[in-house]
Amino acid sequence: MSDTVPRPPLDPELEAALLLVQDQVPTITPELIPAMRQAGTPVDVSDDVLADAGVTRRDVTIPGFEGADIQVSVITRLGRTGSRPGPGVYHVHGGGMILGDRMVGITQVLPWIVEHDAVAVTVEYRLAPESPDPCPVEDCYAGLVWTARHAAELGIDPERLIIAGASAGGGLAAGTALLARDRNGPRLAGQMLICPMLDDRDESVSTVQFEDAVLWDRTSNRTGWSALLGGRRGTDDVSVYAAPARATDLSGLPPTFIDCGSAEVFRDEGVAYAAALWRAGVQAELHVWPGGFHGFDMIAPHTAVSQSATAARRAWLARLLDA
Amino acid sequence: MHELVGRITALDPQASETLKVISYFDTLITGGVGLDGLLRGAAALSGTVAGAERRGRTSRRDPEGRLLGGTTGQEPRFPVRPCSGGSVWLEREGPAHANDAMIIERLAFAVELLELHRDAGGALEIGIDAARTVNDRTTALARLRLDAGTRIRLIATSADKKIPGAPSTILPTRYGILRATLDTTGDVPLPGRAGLGPWVRADRAPASWDGSIVALRLTDASTPTVDATDLGVMLMFLQAHDPRVPHEDVRALLRLDARSAAVLRVLVEADSVRAAAARLGMHHSTLQARHEALTRDLGYDPRTTTGRTRYMAAALLQRLTDPVPEPKTAPEPGPGRN
Repeated sequence: MSDTVPRPPLDPELEAALLLVQDQVPTITPELIPAMRQAGTPVDVSDDVLADAGVTRRDVTIPGFEGADIQVSVITRLGRTGSRPGPGVYHVHGGGMILGDRMVGITQVLPWIVEHDAVAVTVEYRLAPESPDPCPVEDCYAGLVWTARHAAELGIDPERLIIAGASAGGGLAAGTALLARDRNGPRLAGQMLICPMLDDRDESVSTVQFEDAVLWDRTSNRTGWSALLGGRRGTDDVSVYAAPARATDLSGLPPTFIDCGSAEVFRDEGVAYAAALWRAGVQAELHVWPGGFHGFDMIAPHTAVSQSATAARRAWLARLLDA
Repeated sequence: MHELVGRITALDPQASETLKVISYFDTLITGGVGLDGLLRGAAALSGTVAGAERRGRTSRRDPEGRLLGGTTGQEPRFPVRPCSGGSVWLEREGPAHANDAMIIERLAFAVELLELHRDAGGALEIGIDAARTVNDRTTALARLRLDAGTRIRLIATSADKKIPGAPSTILPTRYGILRATLDTTGDVPLPGRAGLGPWVRADRAPASWDGSIVALRLTDASTPTVDATDLGVMLMFLQAHDPRVPHEDVRALLRLDARSAAVLRVLVEADSVRAAAARLGMHHSTLQARHEALTRDLGYDPRTTTGRTRYMAAALLQRLTDPVPEPKTAPEPGPGRN
């Protein structure tokens, strides 16, 4: 850890939890991507686990960017009947643009499905570097268009369709929402951007402060953005859909929820995005959880600060979806 | 990256992870995490409910960190370990896991430290209470890791002025509710107005506390800090004063109106009545008449040597008697008084 740059300390409960996982978290370099993918994700989302959570899943192949086949999973409450449409949650998984699959992070969404009788659609967008920008965000957009078009048969009320994602999924969700706005695409009722990865420019204060963060350090962040953008990373040749932090006009976006930890690389881009939304007259709710590292609430959900973060998201959703 | 790490899981039931358990709790202790956080940690590490009973109050947390309601009395309390004020336990069904004993040991240790910290205020309160026996006081001070012979002083402030890192307590005094803060180093940061007691052996702490209260009363906006040591012999005299039963000389001053009090002060300070008249812009004979009236009211002539001393003493005590303004913010509850 750097001794020279002042930075907010970790929350003590989170710091303790980090001790248990720090051996599992390497700094991600391009060479490490294959091994990381091979290792897979430790979160068990088998059908039994889903059933225990009160939900069921079915997989559908849909057209992605340029018509290529991609998969989505539709997740609904067990025993849901199609008679009355409910809210829709279009979910974009995280993994630094380079890792993960559509079930990564879905455990956060499951309680929302049960509580609001929502239908979740989670998209298997293609990953960088094999599928560089604009493929990931365009796959996400294609999945959103499919979801909106099939809202009736999916049991989704089109007036209550939101997009949600964490980390790279938050960045892709924000980019997808910008595409939907600019192409007169599906109308979103809200966007939930959880510790979103929004800015390829690698120059914020939090980037420097948490250069050596245990989870998602600066090198890993550069690896992810370079995989997505190649030599364009940090240049003027990056679209707002790839790196929404570059958007200068955020008007016309739906009500937005953004959260992050005060002790992570993505802190300042999340805060700046919220400020830009307010500047554009968009309603936004911002939470910067003190002493939170990247993804703290998923790694250490038992801590007080994680419980607050989870409760804040649920409260925002409840206000939005049950209105 | 969190997505690929997944949530922390309970420690391996078979493999001993002593170092992990110790460093986990050390991090919580160093971070000042309270009982609930300690229980959440124990539950997350063990994968089962962790509970504590302190002073008859039971708290239980599950591995998700959720607060559990009242007990049915049927839950296993195993392993269980007594600690000050009660006990801590896991609710393990079946045989203990490899790390259960260590988790409970560290949990108990952390709760002991909480108690010690929490009791710091209570211990200090006893340690500075002149009504307690020396034995009681030294026992209490031992809980603050102080020997009877340790050099200490007390700092008196308004109740809302908590000095971080220094044991303190809030208690009623003859001058109202004040905060007593223990100083063992002499470099405690002072929060605005503060009275510093004289340095004493720890077993004479009440004397330092009493001195610090008096010193605080003598502070004002221009002199925010008064050290009782600087008062010399006057401290003894000031300590003898009871603001609820002021001496007749003090009462006499309290009865004067502001103008008379100002005239009296100049009369005492000036070299002559004529010089006083000049300073006050009064005619000499008018002041002469005021002087005679004041001598009657006070019961002594403030221009004699003895009279001057009496006036100075009474005026000093008057400062102890004047009400001090209440703090603007509500005082924080002191440790040990929750």
